[in-house]
Amino acid sequence: MTGPSRRPAPAAIAGAGAASAYGFRWRGLARAVGEGALRPAPSTQLAATHPGTLSSEVPPVAAGGDRTDPKTRKLMSRAAHLAALALAQALEDAGFGDDRQDIGYYLGLGASGGPIEELHAILRASAAAGRLDLHRFARDGLPATNPLLAFHLLNNLVLCHGAIAASVGGPNAAFHSRGSGTFLALEEALWALQEGSCARAVAGGADSALHLGTFVELLGEGVVSQGLVPGEGAALLALARQVERPLAMLEGCAIGRGEDPEAALASVWHVLGPAEPDWLVIAPWGPPARRVLEAFARGPLRGVPVLDLTASLGDGLAAAPALACVAALDLVVGGARRALVLAAGIDGAAGGAMLSRRAT
Amino acid sequence: MIRRRVFVHGVGAVTPLGAGWQETVAALSAGRSAIAPIDHFDARGFPCSVAASLAFPEGTEERRIPLALAATREAWAGTRLEAAPERIGVFAGAEPGRPRFERIVALARAARDGGALRLGDQASAVLSRASQASPAAVASRLAGELGATGPVAAISLACASAAVAIAEGARAISRGECDVALCGGVGADVDPLLLAGFALLGALSEEGRSCPFDGRRDGFVLGEGAAFAVLAAERAGAVAELRGAGRTLDAHHLTAPDPTGEGAARAMRLALGESGLAAVDYVQAHGTSTPLNDAIEAKAIRRVLGPGLAAAHVSSVKGALGHTIAAAGAFGFLCAVEAVARGTILPTAGLVQPDPECDLPHVTDRALSRRVETAMSNAFAFGGANCSLVVARA
Repeated sequence: MTGPSRRPAPAAIAGAGAASAYGFRWRGLARAVGEGALRPAPSTQLAATHPGTLSSEVPPVAAGGDRTDPKTRKLMSRAAHLAALALAQALEDAGFGDDRQDIGYYLGLGASGGPIEELHAILRASAAAGRLDLHRFARDGLPATNPLLAFHLLNNLVLCHGAIAASVGGPNAAFHSRGSGTFLALEEALWALQEGSCARAVAGGADSALHLGTFVELLGEGVVSQGLVPGEGAALLALARQVERPLAMLEGCAIGRGEDPEAALASVWHVLGPAEPDWLVIAPWGPPARRVLEAFARGPLRGVPVLDLTASLGDGLAAAPALACVAALDLVVGGARRALVLAAGIDGAAGGAMLSRRAT
Repeated sequence: MIRRRVFVHGVGAVTPLGAGWQETVAALSAGRSAIAPIDHFDARGFPCSVAASLAFPEGTEERRIPLALAATREAWAGTRLEAAPERIGVFAGAEPGRPRFERIVALARAARDGGALRLGDQASAVLSRASQASPAAVASRLAGELGATGPVAAISLACASAAVAIAEGARAISRGECDVALCGGVGADVDPLLLAGFALLGALSEEGRSCPFDGRRDGFVLGEGAAFAVLAAERAGAVAELRGAGRTLDAHHLTAPDPTGEGAARAMRLALGESGLAAVDYVQAHGTSTPLNDAIEAKAIRRVLGPGLAAAHVSSVKGALGHTIAAAGAFGFLCAVEAVARGTILPTAGLVQPDPECDLPHVTDRALSRRVETAMSNAFAFGGANCSLVVARA
């Protein structure tokens, strides 16, 4: 039994939204990265436990820049808040107005972490003679815990918070991602548009490597000692089947798998090539992936200028490929005919997306 | 554009009622419930101290993957499909795995002590590796088990995870991205932290009773298990056809469903519309046993099926298996498949005093046996993500 593999048709990019160390905007991101204007700095979020750790953090929202209800904000994990901000921005940028019930929403996301202080509260109330006492945990620990903790822990709320705030009610999926899942989100949006599940969709990724639990996991993986700089962010492309004046086209996405990352990248290029891009935007997951991507850039794409997003914005995990996509959009809006995004993740998977001024 | 039909071949499950799906069906058909006092940790004093939990060897840290593997093996063994590795996809609904509670406490303690402990030096001793804990690890492990090199996705949409994974797998076959897809989900959440989390939300039954659509319901009871199905473009040997899927967002509230039920109703209508149907013979409801959700789902089912409801039946497997969160949508799907494949309509365990607010043609006590042409399963998640699936006789 066999059938031909098919790819979804290109879609128009009507707008975008992003939250990154560059701030709450996407226009000018590529230039800022290219000029080296964004440099990692000692983390404020990890200052208490890992002082001096270099990171790339999203700056505080300017006064008036966050329309999130303060009470709702307390229910959001960091990734959920960034996703909600990027979603609001993308919808506005695209002019996706009031009737949003049928807009699709597809997101790559990582593990959602609650405030570690809440665990302290449980611990304080649940310890007996220096050990955890589950009976005491139930009797004293639970009442001492902020009931809002649970809202931070559910992964899907990274997607749902923004959808509720923006009244986005269409088809949806949340893909767990350490890179490639974000391209799945983009590809699913393309399919949904092509198949008529929705006429408009928003797709991208949101994540933070700066939550203590996630950062400790990264330490355990050994990638921090190899040079990974933790980052955070959210980025979304607003896509449409038809739009009068598209900013650009999302020509396609591809994901390659396998134990050999070079072969995985080659399979991505097999789908997205062979038309050579004017720019290659890379979002490697840690230094080993960077080496693979750079080697690829010296091979099939020799001579194509490379913009390394994670070198400037840190590794925002599920957010990184999406941030690379909005940087690619910035390049295309700025005059590039075609910009290719490539990312490689810890799971051996590689992913890519091609953006162009018009469909080819 | 390719739009191929999608058929259900093998199914497999691990539940507290059985090591396989048919063993589970036999117990469910007899009206048995798996809900019992939690005995693998001290749950005295928790707002809810019962669950439909599975026994694991002492010290087991990663509980999702063994469950998912066992259900996958059963599902796969029930098929005679042949496909090249690159034409086999894997779509798994899962939430992140958690280290044992003691490790989380160690992390919190270390973090509290801050710089003095230099957490980085002991990180690997405190937490399990990220690649093992992530939902993607489940999907990747299953792909490795099958030697599948086609599309792989891990869906994290809480209670709708597995249903969306099935919808994604069906789409991938329909589009021609793969010919065979293993789809389903796994939930292994009966641990102190999750019990605490859901208790804090006020979602768990303080009475320790899972009784969907019953007037006495006061919350859900956690369950554990894995359920997977093998979907394929090939019809020969199939037990059912997956005819349609609908996905929507309530865009209303973090925990409370849209009181109009419109988000859920839209998902059902989309699934029916894609199936070319106005109604179905059987609905496996999301039916969590929470006061608000059951009433609103009942209202939405009545509105969507309209006059067709008179000839239909409705039940929820959560009365017997509890709420398996990321696996819940797959259990619902398997119940719907069971109805069309074998004519077995499983009952809602625990439903003794139907709530007038949940006026539906309930199936109680024991399974009904009758010909079922079409069935629908619902999965509605915290945060308002909804997914409905429609199956028909093959």
